[in-house]
Amino acid sequence: MLAWLNNKTTPLSHIVQNFNQVALPAGNIRAADCPFLVIDLELTGLNAKQDHIVSLGWVPVRHYEIVLSDARHYLVNSPVSVGQSAAFHGLHDKDFSHARDLAEVLTELLQHYAGYIFVAHHCQLDLRFLEVASQRIFGKAPKFSFIDTLNIELYRLQKQGIVMKKDALRLPQCLARHKLPQSGQHHALADAYSCALLLLSQLKHSHADITLSDLQLQSR
Amino acid sequence: MEIAEVTTFLAGTTPFEQLSSQELARLAGHISVYYCQRGETVQLNTERLMIIRTGIFALYSDQQTLLTKLEEGDFYGYQLLLTGLTDNDNLVCEEDGLLYWLTAEGFHQLRYQYKNIDIFFQRLFGRRLHQYKAQQNNSRFTLKISDIVHAHKIAISGDQSVQQAASLMTEKRVSSLLVEQDEQLIGIITDRDLRSRVLAANLAAQTPVQQVMTPKPYTIDKHAYLFEAVQLMSRHNIHHLPVLDKQQSYSMITATDIIRSQQDHPVYLIGEIHRQTSIDGLEHCASQISGLALTLGKQQVPAHEAGHIITTITDALTQRLIKLAQIQLGPAPCVFSWLAFGSQGRMDQSLNADQDNALLLEKEPVGEIADYFAALAEFVCQGLARCGIILCPGNIMASNSALRLSLKGWSGQFARWVNSPTPEALLKSSIFFDLRVIEGSKGLFNALQQDILAKTHENALFLYHLAQTTLQRTAPLSFLRNFILEHDGKQKKGLDLKKRGISLITDIVRVYALSAGISEVNTRQRLVQLAAKGVMDSKDTQNLSDAFDVLAQLRWDKHQHDLLQGRDVSNLLDPNVLSGLQRHQLKDSLTVINDAQSSLKHRFCREL
Repeated sequence: MLAWLNNKTTPLSHIVQNFNQVALPAGNIRAADCPFLVIDLELTGLNAKQDHIVSLGWVPVRHYEIVLSDARHYLVNSPVSVGQSAAFHGLHDKDFSHARDLAEVLTELLQHYAGYIFVAHHCQLDLRFLEVASQRIFGKAPKFSFIDTLNIELYRLQKQGIVMKKDALRLPQCLARHKLPQSGQHHALADAYSCALLLLSQLKHSHADITLSDLQLQSR
Repeated sequence: MEIAEVTTFLAGTTPFEQLSSQELARLAGHISVYYCQRGETVQLNTERLMIIRTGIFALYSDQQTLLTKLEEGDFYGYQLLLTGLTDNDNLVCEEDGLLYWLTAEGFHQLRYQYKNIDIFFQRLFGRRLHQYKAQQNNSRFTLKISDIVHAHKIAISGDQSVQQAASLMTEKRVSSLLVEQDEQLIGIITDRDLRSRVLAANLAAQTPVQQVMTPKPYTIDKHAYLFEAVQLMSRHNIHHLPVLDKQQSYSMITATDIIRSQQDHPVYLIGEIHRQTSIDGLEHCASQISGLALTLGKQQVPAHEAGHIITTITDALTQRLIKLAQIQLGPAPCVFSWLAFGSQGRMDQSLNADQDNALLLEKEPVGEIADYFAALAEFVCQGLARCGIILCPGNIMASNSALRLSLKGWSGQFARWVNSPTPEALLKSSIFFDLRVIEGSKGLFNALQQDILAKTHENALFLYHLAQTTLQRTAPLSFLRNFILEHDGKQKKGLDLKKRGISLITDIVRVYALSAGISEVNTRQRLVQLAAKGVMDSKDTQNLSDAFDVLAQLRWDKHQHDLLQGRDVSNLLDPNVLSGLQRHQLKDSLTVINDAQSSLKHRFCREL
């Protein structure tokens, strides 16, 4: 996974280029055959331009199985102190002795998961931070293809005509609705795993041959 | 990589509890998680271990018979991983759930690294799960003779002189000698005998030993429990017991040896019982039984041994009551045997057992004889009731005149049950076939037992009906969460460990034992004999014996718990209180019973 370090001849921008060159699954592919990468970021704030990524967690889903052997969790060296946001994600500066540089972590992500459909709960925020960080590090933002479990849930509930209470779309509420095990909140990998469970449940409760484009439609 | 939700679940699941957090994280790294939807058939043709995280899954045989249901913490796929053989089972999801798939590599690594985990899955496969539990220390309550006496045979021949006996005792620093002739035990001689029978009687130093020895002494096998030696010594007021190994003299055990080994043994209660001169005294002794039971429990005495101890106490109370009755009524007008049936007969009595007893008389119960034994039976049965062993609701007691019969009378009674069996009659009479003599003539009892076994041995018609009666009651199929799963798919709360478990095994084993003419009545002993004689497959007898132990242990633990809570002792188990391992064991035991009933049906209930 550190192969990129030895491969000094590749200019950094090529990492993004290589990622973008790998074809994404076709829209008519069955969701069951589509590789997904479920990702979650913990952040120091909500502004992608000012705030920073504190940690990343991801886990792939292949053939409807969450593959824990490829699950990863990285703390990221932050250019500024973790500060106030520690109240949310429980990470303190002292936890960062094993932290990695964001460049290293993003390189691993882009080199391993080209051709994957990325998944997150409320993905706009994660997508934005990943793009801004990539722009800074590689001079170029990768073309991610994201689907959003929050939007899929919203679509499902609206279709069933269910009146939503406040907070009904937050991850813990979604897990409870799907009778899935709850996990500790605000840990990037734990949340990515929970999101993956939610995705599987949503997929299983759709029609059996649901395609990727069906899913992307629900996710809009 | 660490997902707390996954590792926390694994840490709480048998047999992974013993793994460190690091190892749990490594194990989790070999897992893939799958969401299964109701109605979906799970793909089983994969060499991975399935761990059920949530949901309910029904397992069907290839004939589409419901085998069991799997729930959180259950496993599937170890069969294929251990043997490489597939079966054609079908696993259907009944309630949405998550499955963990552990790679073959992860599974085998774990097995090689942890002997206990390997044993767990081997036993799960071999249905011999209970042996997974840690080795228990040899409790002092269940010490056997062989634990405290060693091969230390000091013997003299019967024609040697008492002077030689005295010098041998002095040389070996012992207080008694075994007396042998042609390698056979013929008597014992003690230093007390030398005093009272030789010196006090003014006999010569050259008097042969056999003239003053105690001939045909009581003996005990080296594999017997120590408390059985206490029992024998107390009953007969003796202090020396020759110990036999395979019917050959092995050593001697003395009262002093026993006292030295365990000064504060609560089974001294038995000694106390034999010293009592009134029913009040016996009642006081009996009031200590529940305290003793709790002590036994604390010492982790296995249930079957505790059952043996409780039975021995009931035996002692019965024997003492008979003695007290005879003090009041005078000596018996004829030879008799006091019989125990049911759990006391089988020596697996529990704390809430009722009385099941009867009298076997040498002569017909008429006139004086009838009056004497009516009075004796009334005295003993009421005495036992005062000691907390409740009167039999079905009136199977010696105080019932229909159960005070001569050998001829009993033989006729058994003949009626055996020769014209009806299900109703057999349902009531089956416990009579588990009988043991508690007091009185052993010879008379043996004659009756031989007579019964001659009637039942290979008696196809009788065995057919007895097996049919046995099959009228079934064990639950399995249980799920807090519910007992019945064969018809219905769910109930609470499992009667006796009616729906222990008794079923006892009943099954009785049919086989009677078919083979086996005189043992203890269920575990019957199984040993059935395997030894090749009547049943030794794997089947082992499984039944294991299941019997698991159920008896659960009931014993339940009773202990009831006693501690100050509640009435009950056999009704709430599956909710079970640990992970106990759940596996109980499910497994129910499967063993259901399988054994099928075999029984196949063996005894085919067309005649």
